[in-house]
Amino acid sequence: MLSRTADHLYWMSRNIERAENIARFLDVANRLSLSGGGASDSWQPPLTIAGSAQAYAERHGEVAAVNVITWAVLDPANPSSIYSCLRTGRENAHAVRSVIPTELWEIINDIWLEVKRIDGARLREQGLTGFCEWVKDRSHTVRGATHSTMLRDEAFWFVRLGTFLERADNTARLLGVRSKGMTAESRVVPASDQLHWAAVLKSVSAYKSYRALTREDVSPAGVAEMLIMNADMPRSLHACLDSVSTILDRISPQAECTRLAGATHARLHYGRLEELLADGLDTFVSQFILGNNALGTEIHKDFLMS
Amino acid sequence: MAFDEMKASDGAVRAPYRSYENWLLSAAPDLLPRKHEQADELFRRIGITFNVYGDQDGTERLIPFDPIPRILTAKEWSRVHDGCIQRVKALNAFIHDIYHGQEILKAGIIPREQVLANDSYRPEMHGVNVARDVYVQIAGVDVVRTGADEFYVLEDNLRTPSGVSYMLEDRAMMMRLFPDLFARHRVKPVDHYPDLLLKALRSVAPPACDGEPCVVVLTPGYYNSAYFEHAFLAEQMGVELVEGRDLFVDDGLVWMRTTRGPKRVDVIYRRIDDDFLDPLAFRPDSTLGVAGLLSAYAKGGVTLANAIGTGVADDKSTYIHVPEMIEFYLGEKPILPNVPTWRLEREDDRKYVLEHLAELVVKEVHGSGGYGMLVGPTSTKEQIETFRAKILTNPGNYIAQPTLALSTCPTLVDKGIAPRHVDLRPFVLSGETTTLVPGGLTRVALKEGSLVVNSSQGGGTKDTWVLEDDQC
Repeated sequence: MLSRTADHLYWMSRNIERAENIARFLDVANRLSLSGGGASDSWQPPLTIAGSAQAYAERHGEVAAVNVITWAVLDPANPSSIYSCLRTGRENAHAVRSVIPTELWEIINDIWLEVKRIDGARLREQGLTGFCEWVKDRSHTVRGATHSTMLRDEAFWFVRLGTFLERADNTARLLGVRSKGMTAESRVVPASDQLHWAAVLKSVSAYKSYRALTREDVSPAGVAEMLIMNADMPRSLHACLDSVSTILDRISPQAECTRLAGATHARLHYGRLEELLADGLDTFVSQFILGNNALGTEIHKDFLMS
Repeated sequence: MAFDEMKASDGAVRAPYRSYENWLLSAAPDLLPRKHEQADELFRRIGITFNVYGDQDGTERLIPFDPIPRILTAKEWSRVHDGCIQRVKALNAFIHDIYHGQEILKAGIIPREQVLANDSYRPEMHGVNVARDVYVQIAGVDVVRTGADEFYVLEDNLRTPSGVSYMLEDRAMMMRLFPDLFARHRVKPVDHYPDLLLKALRSVAPPACDGEPCVVVLTPGYYNSAYFEHAFLAEQMGVELVEGRDLFVDDGLVWMRTTRGPKRVDVIYRRIDDDFLDPLAFRPDSTLGVAGLLSAYAKGGVTLANAIGTGVADDKSTYIHVPEMIEFYLGEKPILPNVPTWRLEREDDRKYVLEHLAELVVKEVHGSGGYGMLVGPTSTKEQIETFRAKILTNPGNYIAQPTLALSTCPTLVDKGIAPRHVDLRPFVLSGETTTLVPGGLTRVALKEGSLVVNSSQGGGTKDTWVLEDDQC
């Protein structure tokens, strides 16, 4: 396959996955802000997670609900707004429309045509929750079409690679919020913190699963265990690295990026929570994000357009 | 009064439209407008759009699609078919000749300087041999009709003619919207065009190709106005859609960069103009092309379709000589005549044209796409005078033709169904053989009375039906 094609496929799925995750974070922030406790600071995390807190501050100053929503959903100047991600995703899909299944292209094009029509007034009318659900729903549809219509050739694997690399990054960033001072021992926390960690679970649709797996109260250590170590949880770091590592093994077993991904995967697969969080959850998260970025760079060097 | 393809002057419905007319009479009055709306929605969703040059907001637009088919009988088509094939054979022979022995110039049939001093003549191509001596693998021949048996060739498009994707998508759309119509009519299929195209391209693999020929489509990228078509054809043929930056030349061969290292390319269906193909040979500022491509091409390392330097043959100053070419190379009489044409560099012609501007169509010799032309009968006095001044500064740059009463076809407009002028662009494929699918792109001037059918000037498209023999 053309290197440029691989590059477009990879960024197509990365951007759609990112749009979905931003919708997830916004949705939870919104629910938290409505539930009273800790309401005032619930709009900071979506900015921190998206890495756009500084750019936001330069544009809007103080963190206020309506500004954060405008910035994170609609602002074309914000490269990680949902609008921008869906536009970039669609541009990449457009460049490879002859390679991807027609249905997949039509779905992605359709999402873009829809989102292009949305402005502040329409968003208010639909409601943030309704809009976020729509984004998640469309992203699910894209993944479903990918899964059920694409030939299992290299093109498919590059699409999946983008999805899982982006998802790993997003889950790690999500864990990073309020992670300072948290370790594998943090099993009991104040009620307001508990609310936060429950929101973290909900944003990755893991709250029900958490409840199904354990009778323990929601705690930072419990959430970290689930979202870092549990390979059965589809948005956990372990699950993401399972996929990334398997895909790279398929594409090119000897490549440097395959070795890097394998090493990270082994730590998650064979490590213990106490070891991983020995220097604190925040340190683990920032190291993971750095490692994930390095992996992305290596993938570019090995296969994509440099 | 223009010839209407559905209704004769006495109001009787012509044979190919009889069954359609019956269907139309029995259809609900709002059926066509509803289907029309549905088609727009589908086209937008599929992303069949084009970008308008010079349009600042760069938005993608739909080419208007008309839901009423244009219907030709097998007999009418067979003339167009034979005429187009004859013409493209002669044009291929002409291009080969002017880059080799130049017999037609020696015979004095076309003035030497008119060919050799033409901007589109590529001296680099002199003496270069191309596979099967085919220069124009894909030609778009613009045919107009003025009467029941009167067809003319208005223009040849021998560089990178576009529009074939609309021919195919219009047919697919019609089948989706009106399956019952296809049950009532036996319409000759066009869907095998991509197969024929791939076959033609594979048949012109270069001498250096030693295995299965690898064919690619070369596009300027997804900001190009015809990007949809490039992607569509690559997809339909199952070949890679590449950009210049995906290719490189090494040791006289062309390679593409893939995730598994370089892969050899044998035939490039390029949708980039000559000027931009190779920054080392042509425009040095081109970022769309591939450095060294011309030299690899000239040495037989790769085939370009169409060849470099075909533009000299579709120039309007060459156009007037095509009937003579047909006699010179094929020893045949032209099946489809040219439109009579005046050349403004000739004094007599110029005098006549300047006196009759209000009745004529004046075009730039090197222009295309409906830009830079004057349609006398529909222009204001001011427009005519402005154009007269332009002609006088550089008469050699213009030709003039009578304003043909282009045939009309019933077309859906705001107020219902009304006749609108149409033309026809069949696509002729040359490789081992010369072929074309039964049909082509029918372009329709949607504005009342307008004769300009170009999509860049508000034209739309129609599905073109050629009926099986026994249908009428």
